[in-house]
Amino acid sequence: MLDFLEQIVHGLTLGSLYAMVAAGLALMFGVVRLINFAHGEFYMLGGYAFWYAYRELGLPYPVAGLAATSLLGMFGWAYERTVIRTILARTWHVQLIATLATSITLTNGAILVFGTQPKEVPTLLSSTILEWAGLRIAAQRLLVLAAAVAVFAGLEWFVTRTKLGKAMRAMSQNREACAVVGIDVQQIALATFVISAGLAAGAAALVSPLFNIFPDVGALLTLKAFAAVIVGGFGYVKGAIAASFLIGLTESLTAGYVSYAYKDAIAFIVMVLVLLVRPQGLFGRRIGI
Amino acid sequence: MRGVRWAVAALVLTAAPWIVGATVADQQRYILHVMIFTALFAALALSYDLVVGHVGSLSLAHPALFGIGAYTAALLATEARWPFALAFAAAPVTAGVVAFAIGVPMFRLTEHSFAMGTLGFAVVTQIVATNWVDFTRGPLCVTGIPKPGLGAWRIATLPAFYWLALATLALVALLYHGLTTFRLGRAFHAVRDDETLAASAAIHPLKYRMLAFAIGGALAGGIGALYVSYVGVLCPGDLGLGLSVNLLVMVFLGGAGSLRGVVLGAAAFTALPEALRMAPTWRMVIYGVLLLVIVIRWPEGIGGLLRRRAAAG
Repeated sequence: MLDFLEQIVHGLTLGSLYAMVAAGLALMFGVVRLINFAHGEFYMLGGYAFWYAYRELGLPYPVAGLAATSLLGMFGWAYERTVIRTILARTWHVQLIATLATSITLTNGAILVFGTQPKEVPTLLSSTILEWAGLRIAAQRLLVLAAAVAVFAGLEWFVTRTKLGKAMRAMSQNREACAVVGIDVQQIALATFVISAGLAAGAAALVSPLFNIFPDVGALLTLKAFAAVIVGGFGYVKGAIAASFLIGLTESLTAGYVSYAYKDAIAFIVMVLVLLVRPQGLFGRRIGI
Repeated sequence: MRGVRWAVAALVLTAAPWIVGATVADQQRYILHVMIFTALFAALALSYDLVVGHVGSLSLAHPALFGIGAYTAALLATEARWPFALAFAAAPVTAGVVAFAIGVPMFRLTEHSFAMGTLGFAVVTQIVATNWVDFTRGPLCVTGIPKPGLGAWRIATLPAFYWLALATLALVALLYHGLTTFRLGRAFHAVRDDETLAASAAIHPLKYRMLAFAIGGALAGGIGALYVSYVGVLCPGDLGLGLSVNLLVMVFLGGAGSLRGVVLGAAAFTALPEALRMAPTWRMVIYGVLLLVIVIRWPEGIGGLLRRRAAAG
């Protein structure tokens, strides 16, 4: 029973990570109808930025996390201005290959710069084990869960209450109509990339103390986050978040009780099963964030 | 004129082992090795282009289908001790059947999602190849895969293997031409260019997509079997994402949907890195940037440039 509860906590931690990456992916798809194959690389770069700020510069944990998040926000801005803007009007083939090419360049660039040896970033919280009635949980996991809840509440408030968030939702419903009523479509696209990159980097700062950082961490993460986006119903952010937790929990229970070696295949198997039963995803095909 | 040029090219390619032997005798083995790889990769890139360039489904499952064919042939020839010809014949059949089976859920996805779904399949295949050690020998690799042959007759020398690879390329190119030129080719292109319009003209998109995907997959499996019988060793890493990247670069640099372009792209991207002896990581960084620039600036690749020049001149 205790073992089972521990697996559940691990699954929720994994789910938080997938959800923060998948939410960004779904947001991008919702607003600009583009799948960013290099999304996992935002997480990877965020992880290295956090490692550099925390371990090399010795900044305090919250400062290092925020620094990594804002740095990747800037990276998202630069990525939108250079790569995305040139391909937004092109066919999905071009978009997919261009973002895939970016992902390959960033991954191998990271190997050249940082080497293949994983970077460990233990924090005070990740080495503090809380014990409660025999249940042993690293404090960092609770931080991840609390932060994820806060981030998603913030995101919900942002897209429903703020002017920018409302404009993003409007754009996910009808881009032309937005342009007609004077919404600056390019600025909104830019903001979406900054927020999505920031979300991925924030996730990296939260979970890197638990999982190590290595150059090709992004490829599998993009794939799992994308599986969550498909399972959740394309471009529907809340659906993607819910599906991320479903995948995280399934993965953690598989690793604990079935086979550790095949845990990475689970997200994909869940996706195929959902597609066979409900091709439109678990939460319908409601386009719009 | 065109016929003469083709005949000269065919003659030069067939006589290549002797030409290489006469001109650069000390490097003959190495050059022939690169040429064998070029022919095999050109054939693989053509089989990939059937799916990507002609029905417009951006599959990333090709390395997995290549690998499934390779593992089928390798395991049947070593563990099950089948004669090579039978093991070889089983490879495209298995890969084709698997392609068909994964096509059923995958073609429920469109566009990007199809690409991601097939990538997922490729990742799972590699995970299985690495972890199912009892069956695939995992990271220990399948070794001692016999050379191709029929009965007592074996293809053991390098020139003989070169001719086999060249014949394979010619066969795949012929099949590619046949499949994409006539009535079937027009149906493929109709599905690629406008799915709704094709469907309204009673050209069932799913049927043609599935056909191209299964044939492309079967060909990839066959080429995988030849590849392992040449190399002699098969490791899970051989079916990694790197192969997908190579194929994408070859097809898009050469020009998706163009026989000549894809073969040129494959030749350029097998021979060039060998000639430059680049470190693999640097090579991938350069491939990434190159792919990005090509797809943004020249989405039609070399094939498109050649066509435009031919039209202008």
